[in-house]
Amino acid sequence: MEFTRAIDPLRSRIALLLCSLAAACEPESRPPDPGVLVITESEQTASYVRNFNPLLGAGRWASNHAIYEPLLIYNVAQSRYEPWLATKYAWSEDGLELSFTTRGGVKWSDGKAFSAKDAAFTFDLLHRFPALDINGVWKFLERVDTPGENQLRFHFKQPFVPGLYYLATQPIVSEHKWRDVEDPVTFSDPDPVGTGPFTEIESFQSQVYQVGKNPNYWQPGKPKLAALRFPAFPANDQTNLALIHGDLDWAGTFVPAIERTFVSRDPENHRYWFPLMQGSVLLYPNHTRAPLDDVRVRKALSQAIDRKKLVQVALFDYSRPADATGLSDAYATYRDPQAVAAGDWVNHDPERAGGLLDSAGIKLADDGLRHLPSGATFELEVNVVAGWSDWVRAAQVICRNLEQIGVKATLRSYDFGAWFQKLQRGDFWLSLGWTEEGPTPYSLYRGLMATETKQPLEEEAATNWHRFASPKADAWLAELERTTDPKRERALYASLQRLFVAEAPALPLFPDVSWGEYNLKRFKGFPSEADPYALLTPNKAPDSLLVLTRLEAKL
Amino acid sequence: MNLSRASSKLKSGLKFVLRRLGFYLMAAWASITLAFLIPRLMPGDPASAMFARFKGQLKPEAMDALRQAFGFSDAPLHQQYLSYLGHVLRGDLGISISHFPASVNTVIGGALFWTLLLAGVSVVLSFGIGTALGVISAWRRDGKLDRFAPPALIFLGAFPYFWLAMLALFLFGFELGWFPLGHAYADHLTPEFSWAFIGSVLKHAILPAVTIVVATLGGWMLSMRNTMISVLGEDYISLAQAKGLLSRRVMWIYAARNALLPNVTGFGMALGFVLSGSLLTEIIFSYPGQGYLLIQAVRSLDYPLIQGLFLTITLAVLGANWLVDIAYAWLDPRTR
Repeated sequence: MEFTRAIDPLRSRIALLLCSLAAACEPESRPPDPGVLVITESEQTASYVRNFNPLLGAGRWASNHAIYEPLLIYNVAQSRYEPWLATKYAWSEDGLELSFTTRGGVKWSDGKAFSAKDAAFTFDLLHRFPALDINGVWKFLERVDTPGENQLRFHFKQPFVPGLYYLATQPIVSEHKWRDVEDPVTFSDPDPVGTGPFTEIESFQSQVYQVGKNPNYWQPGKPKLAALRFPAFPANDQTNLALIHGDLDWAGTFVPAIERTFVSRDPENHRYWFPLMQGSVLLYPNHTRAPLDDVRVRKALSQAIDRKKLVQVALFDYSRPADATGLSDAYATYRDPQAVAAGDWVNHDPERAGGLLDSAGIKLADDGLRHLPSGATFELEVNVVAGWSDWVRAAQVICRNLEQIGVKATLRSYDFGAWFQKLQRGDFWLSLGWTEEGPTPYSLYRGLMATETKQPLEEEAATNWHRFASPKADAWLAELERTTDPKRERALYASLQRLFVAEAPALPLFPDVSWGEYNLKRFKGFPSEADPYALLTPNKAPDSLLVLTRLEAKL
Repeated sequence: MNLSRASSKLKSGLKFVLRRLGFYLMAAWASITLAFLIPRLMPGDPASAMFARFKGQLKPEAMDALRQAFGFSDAPLHQQYLSYLGHVLRGDLGISISHFPASVNTVIGGALFWTLLLAGVSVVLSFGIGTALGVISAWRRDGKLDRFAPPALIFLGAFPYFWLAMLALFLFGFELGWFPLGHAYADHLTPEFSWAFIGSVLKHAILPAVTIVVATLGGWMLSMRNTMISVLGEDYISLAQAKGLLSRRVMWIYAARNALLPNVTGFGMALGFVLSGSLLTEIIFSYPGQGYLLIQAVRSLDYPLIQGLFLTITLAVLGANWLVDIAYAWLDPRTR
């Protein structure tokens, strides 16, 4: 009797405590306010730093995807420029002047009017602070002026047609606000004033931030959303859990076995679209290390690789084996059928690979390994970034494939910094790597074959890590910098592709996947395979502006 | 007479604490120096890591200008070291590269509170509960608690921590929906002193804290139980019991106080490692603490941030150990 009496008050007190705890947490399961779109940030982090400076590309997602806008948007999915802060552009006859007509009636979020002067001021800022000129536009620019209120004119040092992309997609900042900023490089722009659809920072905490509508947006009636919210996730697993749980409306993350894990939980609303419209992933052989300077050896290594298996193991079949041109679907219209047909060295054929190595003097010995003419065994290392699991799996397949033709291959995984330093300085045998992106394959082939990009060993190379240069490619690339004739352009790109396929300077593995998932429960209007008005992925600036101005909240 | 004895006791205690303080100052200097050296011994350099963030678009001119903005210098190591010492003394840890242009102090400051809250509270809880369980199970040897708790807790503690935490998150957060999937508080709340906010913080802390406690409880309990058992065999315990003292008094004041010493040492270590050891917890539960910052800083070769974090961690370890020394001086007069 006494015993139970002593226990009971304690028990009821615990129960009371639990109840009050539960009551305090009641609002927990509350969904976000209507019209608040929940998006994944491009940076995976546990705590945000308030930085909306769009110029260095180091700011928060919203800065160059929603707050600040460019003159034109290059729409990868449609392969065309969309007029944005500028309504049209034109080249002069001699290719030395590029003029833009800026849009009238555009206002900054603080109510002041936007004009061509703001754009000229922005480019002037890049000139005065070279750290901000991350695309190097002042390498080809002479000066910028504004012949009229809505006229912007760029004067070039020499004709450089690919420059259009970098000028057109530069985020534009306001003169009246940035004029007084002492050091725009270290300025964190905590309360941005932009022309974009979302500009008002409604709340900012280390684990989440929210950006509200621009009250003065120039597209009437838009955006049709109340605000954007960005919860912080430190890694893919956490993002995926939230996505599958239905906490995210729009995401751009790698989800393994997506049909089973994500779509099947709510087939009505859970959708994804993974177009192959980014760069490609290539295996880079170091041309400064024999025998990798021998084109027969490079083609042999390529034919040893079973790309079908690789794509299946490394990427859950989200991508496909690359063709020998290295072009992804973003450049489908440039692809030259003759070059593709000639590039049979991307097909899995261990026998031919063996034959090619034999002809290069790298013969199979009794120990089952191939030996160099000098007598040493032919050993290779494949470098990847530790933790990039798709790359690590791909490299595992490559190592196994190479061993099947008697080449000893070891997987080496390094932390990103160490891996990238080795790659840039040419301190590797084989390494996985990406390709340059842009509206045309110009920067891709420049980075793969131009003499200009080939750095000496030990020096940091931004591209051309494999160290290959071709005078023929130089001439064609130089002509591409001048010509605006689409027919001539096409012919030049075809020549570049044929040269690449003949020389095999680097070995294309698979086109990169552009990750994008969405949830139709609360919003509609996402791009998809059926309505590809833009890329779905939120990881591409400034293309997301196209999506943000199209989305609508469901009632 | 009594008074003078008490004052000499106090003096010797104070002398002991001061002597230790001198030692800790030396250790602090050593750790500050190591924090400077270790990042510079890592492969790769911050400039190329920064280069990588722009995916090779950065032109050499921009690169040089950026180096200046970040404050990289090619000065000889000893000069860099001297200016570093000067900055540390003024409490200025520089600008973080991976969180540019925020200063290291802001970056760490924002995360430190949540780490201290989550990991600090769970280590204290784990130590308290584990030690108490150890005392009780040694006192009632071969009782129910003594037979079942140690093997069960050791079993749980033997699982890899991230696996245990992932499983808990999946089961109780995702499948059952009892707890939120991550973060320190609900996204629609702003930090303020209100019941709704504190309740939300508590609810978000339960799952990560419980996983830490469950994973570490076994160690505390077992070590306390073992020392306690050997202390219980001492003559003075039998004497205390023979004198007819309350058995609760014998258990806690006579036996447990003496058996506590090894656990207190361990506690000092554990408190120090709270700052670094919460890394996995914070990643799995998307907790905005500093564990994840360290991994991020190492990945992007963010020297200033690595230095700052090293410094916070080592100073915390030293601070905790100094407190343990003081506790020792109080628990065990022989150490003075």
